[in-house]
Amino acid sequence: MSVKIDTRPIWVLLGLKALRPLFFITLAASFVYIIGMPTPEGLTPEGQKAIAVFVVCLVLWVTNVIPLAITSILAIVLVPFLGVLSTRETYSLFGNEAVFFILGAFILAGAVMGSGLSTRVALYMLSRFGSSPKKLVMVIFLLSASLSFFMSEHAVAAMLFPIVLEISKSLGIRPGRSNYGRLLFLSLAWGCIIGGVATFLGGARVPLAVGILNEMTGRTIGFLDYAVAVFPLVVILLLLGFFILTRSFPLDIKGVEGAAEALGKRLRALGKIGYTEYAVGAVMVATVLAWMFLGRRLGLSSIALTSVVFLFVLKLVRWKDIEEYVNWGIILMYGGAIILGSSLHKSGAAEWMVNGVVGSWATSPWSVLLVFSLLALFLTEGMSNAAVIAVLLPASIAIADKLALDPVLVTYAIAVPAGLAFMFPMSTPANALAASSNYISMREMARAGIVVNVLAWVLFNLVAAFWWPLIGMGY
Amino acid sequence: MGKYLDKPASLKIDLMLRGIRIEDPVVQAWACGSSGVDILLPRDTLVNIPCREVFTRNSPYTIRRSGEDYFITDGRGEVPVKLVPKPAFCGGSTSTGVPFRDIAASHGSYTVVTPSKRCDFFRRSIECKYCAGNFNVADGPDRVYTVDEVLETVAAVLKEKTSGIIYLSIGFSPGDDGGIEFLKPYIAAVKKNFNCLVAVEALPPKENRWIDETYALGADSVLYNLEIFDKELFEIICPGRAALIGRKRYMEALGYAAKIFPNGTVASHLIVGLEPPGSTCMGIDFLTDMGVVPVLPIYRPSSEKDLRIEPLTTEIILPVYKHLYRAVKKKKVNLNWVRDLSMVTTPAEIRDLVDDSKGGLMDSFYKSRLGLKTAWGLSSLRRKLRVVDRDPDGEH
Ligand code: SF4
Repeated sequence: MSVKIDTRPIWVLLGLKALRPLFFITLAASFVYIIGMPTPEGLTPEGQKAIAVFVVCLVLWVTNVIPLAITSILAIVLVPFLGVLSTRETYSLFGNEAVFFILGAFILAGAVMGSGLSTRVALYMLSRFGSSPKKLVMVIFLLSASLSFFMSEHAVAAMLFPIVLEISKSLGIRPGRSNYGRLLFLSLAWGCIIGGVATFLGGARVPLAVGILNEMTGRTIGFLDYAVAVFPLVVILLLLGFFILTRSFPLDIKGVEGAAEALGKRLRALGKIGYTEYAVGAVMVATVLAWMFLGRRLGLSSIALTSVVFLFVLKLVRWKDIEEYVNWGIILMYGGAIILGSSLHKSGAAEWMVNGVVGSWATSPWSVLLVFSLLALFLTEGMSNAAVIAVLLPASIAIADKLALDPVLVTYAIAVPAGLAFMFPMSTPANALAASSNYISMREMARAGIVVNVLAWVLFNLVAAFWWPLIGMGY
Repeated sequence: MGKYLDKPASLKIDLMLRGIRIEDPVVQAWACGSSGVDILLPRDTLVNIPCREVFTRNSPYTIRRSGEDYFITDGRGEVPVKLVPKPAFCGGSTSTGVPFRDIAASHGSYTVVTPSKRCDFFRRSIECKYCAGNFNVADGPDRVYTVDEVLETVAAVLKEKTSGIIYLSIGFSPGDDGGIEFLKPYIAAVKKNFNCLVAVEALPPKENRWIDETYALGADSVLYNLEIFDKELFEIICPGRAALIGRKRYMEALGYAAKIFPNGTVASHLIVGLEPPGSTCMGIDFLTDMGVVPVLPIYRPSSEKDLRIEPLTTEIILPVYKHLYRAVKKKKVNLNWVRDLSMVTTPAEIRDLVDDSKGGLMDSFYKSRLGLKTAWGLSSLRRKLRVVDRDPDGEH
């Protein structure tokens, strides 16, 4: 149990408790009001209902008063109930490829972690290359990033956190007092965040975005295409991120001998590498290669699921162990988000909203990219990145349609910045873990994070303007 | 009338200091086997009076019986008193055969339950010098009672309706949590099965998050007993506490707990008689400044091997207790929680020595069963409002 005690006056807490029922009553009333009001011109009755569902889900996703997955279930129930889509169509959307890709990725990551392979790689890299304070920070930063190329950044952060904590303790640095402590934990968090946007595997948001794109337009994005498109952004962000980190928190220790000893001890405790680790490693490498070179032909989810079958055929994992790593909540959330996106699109609501709300300023492709990437970057600081995609993507695809802009580009403009939350602990679990160590305060995290956030936005748009045309995706 | 007979609070202190001689065979039989005899003085003042220790042989006090009535006399006067029946649960045992009295001991409105007699200070020979050795594992089997055994005991205690508060007590255990991880299943089980208030008497954990956890688990009150306020004497008398926890951490933990728990539910013992009275008074001020209730037990050496100190007199001690009452009043520390304890004179009992107020309606209300139920309800509601799960359902 991890708890916090709210020490605000009791009357404030009582008032806040009373707000919850009031909140739901107001939300329900707004929902009924939107459905009951006369249908505006240019909008179909189905579109109006889809907007009502969208508003309710938007509010619930932003406020997080109920779990994201439950909001999605609400969407799944309301869409056919209000006749926006038929029941059959609604539930069939749940069988979207993205959902199964995410499931496969969870199981693969679970196998890598469960076998101990990822921990071994991490410990080896740290003890092999982290011989000085600066090198150690750099290894943590790059290791977090590169591991996040292959597995969910959240899983990487959770896996490396205890190791970094042990390093800090073995170095005798005290929480809140040491720049080096700040450096270690921010390197972990930022490494995970930047690495997490590099491929489809860093988080489930890119597959979700591709899923929505696919349902709305029939288009898709390949595994390798995506990695190539964001490659310069990731490389430059890694360089700049490390530079900002070491400038913001200058080194204040001289040696890291204590850490080497602690890491060596952990590594020795793992024993020698065994069959399971080799085999899981081989399956993982084969899967990534297949995603890169056969992804378009065979489909990413089919490759992921084939690898999952292999893991079980080779008896490398047990279902009981894997269940621990599969986040069913995220899978439900994504299914619901895809259904909601489709209902907005198919009922014409997305297009109507775009015309009415953002039509006036979204006059050129570059302004669409600039504004949506900024919105995604801004919203993701306070909202789940999956929710950001569910909220922004349907509207942005409709705008792209209107401006004859490739919808794939706006998918990038939302999916990538939605993963770049550097400022607050609540923005992403990697930050939350770093802050929970008490080595870095929220203020310090926000101060350093805002600089990278601004840089990330500028860089993303520069990459879109100058790199994408070179690889044939200009606007 | 004798010197202290007319004021129950001062009489309680004097009796605790000097003990009582029991000559009447009926009373002797009544007190048989226990270290002290529980007696109800006028104004419902409960006291546990030493009657077996060597120092009690010189006490001016005796108990006189006249038919069904009992009186305490000091040779010059007498006051009517009542013998408090020994709790019936003392004769019972758990289904596994453990006598309830091995697990629990009643002291008036509260019962101390010790799920484990372990105190690691004994293993390291740094135990507190005054410790009666109840937790001394060197002297007995390292017995840890199961949750079921503790639950059976608590059920037997609560059935008698004399104690409404269960103190779960634990000695020193290595680790950062101050023993909370160990107590966790016991607190949870007692809270789940009974509508009683639970206090935790432990040593301060190294990190404040364990204090949050203690509150979140269901503890309504917490005691981190500093015992000695004077820095040097603390190090000499409590070497284990000084070396492995430190006086500073006691202060920090108490200050933090006072912010987390309701007013008047965080307490700390300061033993009267092990340091100069002036130092105890400074301790009282320090604790009340933080909103902590100082509880002042009197040191009573019970065997030859115990700490040898010059016995104090009631004249010297009384001003300390009066100071205690004034300090808690001044700092507006709630007195409804720490009251009616047989082993300690509580600030609420001192009231009639300092002012003539009788304590008011609220006081009598909180003493009643309905009051206890209300306290339990309010405490649970407060916890529901204050405890925030850091790991909510949201995903990223
Ligand atoms: S902490 Fe001190 S008083 Fe408590 S049981 Fe251990 S030695 Fe005895």
